[in-house]
Parts: sequence; C-alpha cells; structure tokens
Amino acid sequence: MPVEALKGLTFEIQQGEFIAVMGPSGSGKSTLLHLLALLDDPTSGSIFVDGTDISKLSSSQKTTFRLNKLGYVFQEYALLPELNAFENVYLPLMMLGAPARDYEKAARVMLETVGMGKRARHLISQLSGGEQQRVAIARALINKSRILFADEPCANLDSKNKEIVLKLLRQLCDELRQTIIMVTHEQEQRLYADRVLWIKDGSMDREEKVR
Amino acid sequence: MRLSIKDIWNDLRVSIFLVYKAITRGNRFTLILTILVTTLAFINIIFISSIMNGAITKAYQQAQENYVSNIVILPDTDEKYITQVQQLKTKINTLPGVVSCSSRYAQSGVLRYDPDKDNQDVREKAWNIKSINPTEEVKVTNLQNYMVAGRYLEENDRDQIIMGREISGGYGASFQISSLKGAQIGDEVSITYGNGVNRSYKVKGIYNTYFPLADLNVFITEKEMESVIGIHNRASEVLIKTDGSVPERVYIDRLRTMGIEKEQINVWMDFIGYISGLTQTFDIVKSIVTFIGLLVAGVTIFIVIFIATVNRRRQIGILKAIGMKERIIIMSYIFQAIFYAILGVTAGLLIIHLFLVPYFIRHPLPMPIGLVSLALVRQDMALSILSMIVVSVVAGFIPSWMVTRQNIIKAIWG
Repeated sequence: MPVEALKGLTFEIQQGEFIAVMGPSGSGKSTLLHLLALLDDPTSGSIFVDGTDISKLSSSQKTTFRLNKLGYVFQEYALLPELNAFENVYLPLMMLGAPARDYEKAARVMLETVGMGKRARHLISQLSGGEQQRVAIARALINKSRILFADEPCANLDSKNKEIVLKLLRQLCDELRQTIIMVTHEQEQRLYADRVLWIKDGSMDREEKVR
Repeated sequence: MRLSIKDIWNDLRVSIFLVYKAITRGNRFTLILTILVTTLAFINIIFISSIMNGAITKAYQQAQENYVSNIVILPDTDEKYITQVQQLKTKINTLPGVVSCSSRYAQSGVLRYDPDKDNQDVREKAWNIKSINPTEEVKVTNLQNYMVAGRYLEENDRDQIIMGREISGGYGASFQISSLKGAQIGDEVSITYGNGVNRSYKVKGIYNTYFPLADLNVFITEKEMESVIGIHNRASEVLIKTDGSVPERVYIDRLRTMGIEKEQINVWMDFIGYISGLTQTFDIVKSIVTFIGLLVAGVTIFIVIFIATVNRRRQIGILKAIGMKERIIIMSYIFQAIFYAILGVTAGLLIIHLFLVPYFIRHPLPMPIGLVSLALVRQDMALSILSMIVVSVVAGFIPSWMVTRQNIIKAIWG
C-alpha cells in the first residue's frame, strides 16, 4: 500500500545557504534529502535547481547531474574500502574525465581543506570514523558541487569528531559559499546552520532562522 | 545517447582502475581460489579433448605407418592379382612425392600350432597369410621397429614366419581367445594354404604395435609365397608411401594418368572406417566435455562475481549515488571476470605445456590403438580460450547488471 511520505512541501534555498532539515523520526526528512539529491524519484512535484526541473531528467541525465552538480555525505561514511583516502576523493573527478595530474592535485587540496592531508595514503579501514567522514566530505566537494547533501553526517561520531565535522561544514559554507543541506535529529547541530526546516508528518512544520 | 571515443576511453579508465584496486586490495584467498578453479576447468577441457585428439592422431599414424601405408593398389575387382608388378613399382617410384612402394601377396590358409607336438591342445586359426619383400617393406611400414620378440624377416628367409601379437597370443593381446594362445619364438607353425599346399615355419619374430588391425597379420617372405602359389611378378596389393606434401587422394589421378586404369586405388583412410566412426563419437564427447567444462568455469566466475556484487551492493549503490554510470560498474565486473579467465587460462596453459605434455610423452597411455599422448590442436585450444573469455564476460555481466539495476536507496539501505 503506497505511503505518502511527503506532501505540500515547498521551499527555496539560496546559493551559499546552510540548511538543517529536522523533525521526528519518520517525519520524512531523509526521504526529502533522497529526492533532492536525485537518489529517489518523486511520484509528483518538482525540484528546481538553477531554474531546471531536475526531477524530470532521465535516469542517465540524473546520474550525470549527480556527478557534476551534487555531493552527498552519507551517515555511514560510505567510502570504498579498496581505495585509500586519496583515491576515494579523486574518484569523482576521474569519472568526469579529468587528467591524472589535475584530479590528484585537486584531491590533495581537498584533503588539506578537510584536515586529512597527512592521512591521504591510508586505507579507509585505517581511519577513524571522524576521519572517514571528513574524507567523505572531501569526496563530495571535489567536483565543485553546487549543493552538498549530508544525511546525519555526525550520527556515528563521538562528540569531538562531531564538532570537527560540523565546524568543517560551516567553514565550507562561510569560505566557499557552499550550499549545504543537512539532515539531523540533534538539536545542537542546528546551530551550525543558517536556517532550519522543521518537517512533521511529511509536511513543512515551520522554518527557523538561526543566523 | 551517442558515446564519444573520449567517453569510452574514460569509462574504460575508471573501470580498469576499480578492477585493479579490487584485485590488488581485495581478498587474496578468494582470488587464488577463483583462479585455481578456472585453471582446473580449463585444463579439464583441454586435457580431455587432447587425449581424444591424441587417440585419433595415433590411430591415423598407426594406419599409415604399420597397416596400409598411405596408398594401396588392389587388383581389378575381376582379377585376383595385379600383374607386371615389378614394372609397375618402377613406374610408381618415379612419381614425385612417392617415398617408396612395396608389393604383397595375400593367400588364405589355416594356421596350425601344436605346442607340445602331441596332437593334444592343437590351436588352429583360419587366416589371411601375407607375404612381404622385407627390403621394400621396411621403406613403407615400420613393423620392424615394433618387434617384441625375435627378429624381422629377411629377403631370403623361406621357413620363417612373423606375426602380430593378436595372432601369436600373449604380450597383452586384445583378442587372446581367438589367437594361437601363446606361440613363442622358435615354435613351429604349419600352414595349409587355400590351394592345398602345406608348409611348416618357425616363428622368427612377434611384433606389437598396439594397433589391432596391424597386429592381426601373419607374414612370410615374397619368395616363399611365390613358391607356394607358383606365380611370379604379381601381387595382391601394392602399398605406396608418400612424403605427405600433398593429400593422398591427389596421387589417385596421378597414378591413373600413368596407366593404372583398372586396378582399385585406395587411400589409408578407406581401410579404417571404424576409426572414422570413432572420430565422430569423440567429437561429440569432446563437445559435451567442453560444454560442461565451460559451464563449470562460467558458473564459478558467476558465483564469485555474484557474491562480490551482492556483498558490495551497498558500495555499488554509493558509486551510483556519487554519479558513477551503471555501464562503468558493469564493465568493471566484466573486466574482473575476464581477468580471472585470462589468469586461469594462462596458468592452465603453463601446466599443460610444462607438466602434462612432457609427462604424457614420457608415459603415454596404452589404448587399443597404440600408446597415446596428448595432441594439442591449435584450433581447439583457440576455441576453448575464446569460449572461456566469452563465458567469463557473460558470468561477469549478469550479476553486475542485476545489482546495478536496483534502486539506489534499496541498494544502500536495503
């Protein structure tokens, strides 16, 4: 039996905004993120990025769009275990057809940005949870994503690493004007965002301006 | 959507990168085990077909070297003998490509062997007795090299006889029960010919080629046979050995042109019809064994790739989520499967060439047609290698295609 996960949800996000999506479990915040990141298809409605309805793109166009314009940070790090941190980060640029010297240089810069420069050659299994999440952020940003999606990026981290990751996201927003949409259920994490979208039962409950 | 060369090249680059990392940093045990099974499957395909090819090759070789040489001239169907044989042989020997020729007489007779010379336990056998000119015969057949007891005939031998092990019995003969059951060198054997002449001979030699058709012969000298049947310069058959530069059937026209018009001209293949039937049977068995071997190799690679893709379902979902095209993921698994196949084939070829072939040359398998070793046929090998690659492509494609078709959310979060 089909379940209506989201309904009547309309909002806009500006370039360089850091948005936190919050709400109780089952409210539809993860579904919203999946739809925005083109990981799932809406049964109705539209998603516009720079004036283009990306929900109407074909499957292969969505794949290309994800590669070129979107970055995604998963709750469980989601890095490839056979690759080291450096290789995980440059993979999206390699997929885009960049020459080796370009993607290697970009990966080095990106790992330095997230504070992982010295751990670049380590395999994923040799990194802590926080380090893995920073590598995942570097990977999500290497293709100069228009939007970075973060699905509870600190859920599996200790408090020290949570702070490192959240500060990093805030820094990316402030210094690089990176648009970030982060799903979280922890109240204190909303303080890093500019605005909070509160979702309840699949609909917008309220918007909260934090900064 | 049309793909540019640049797109294809980049897809290949990413696929090969993923395969390289998966292989070099993946589970070594799984890698070794997969290659081992692929190697064994390949060896199985090649080994069985090589043994069968070896058996067929040996049978053909035996027929040409020890049975009828390359070409046999028989009398016209209305005649008992070929006439003017000496002149005929002289002419045949002038034909380009003819190495030599030899004439034989054949006469029916009853072999009688009384081991204790007491008329008890007498062994008799009706058979076709043949004569040879030993000097000519050694140039067209190789029986002199297969003597297991005694010696080969000499031109002037008159009361001497040689026989194959299937006639003498003993020496592991296949048809022991219908043989003389153990005639030995120096034993006396008498023959009552079809024309009533009775002669006694001493067994001078026993040969064993392992080829029943050749080992079912009894030979006396041409001079002796001519004195028995009272004719000269005739023959029941003329055997011709050629140098193999052109197929034997080419000589049929050449022989006809030089005046052999009425006589029957046959090539060695015409005398081994049952082996041709065996060849067809072997081909069917080879096809079945090859098919099963390929199936084993294919299923093995399929299982490995299937388990790998199922275990990495989440990773495949992640790759898709970060924008990796499905075709790159599928290609990477196909390349991985091809890698297993290539390594399996390479290891298999090394084992076959370095161990199995030398081993079977030193220790050939005794078969009813001779001592058989492996015969590697290039076309069969190439076909098997190609089939292994094709099977691996299919075995890599199906599971990866199944998993990449899944919805990203389902693949990542189940």
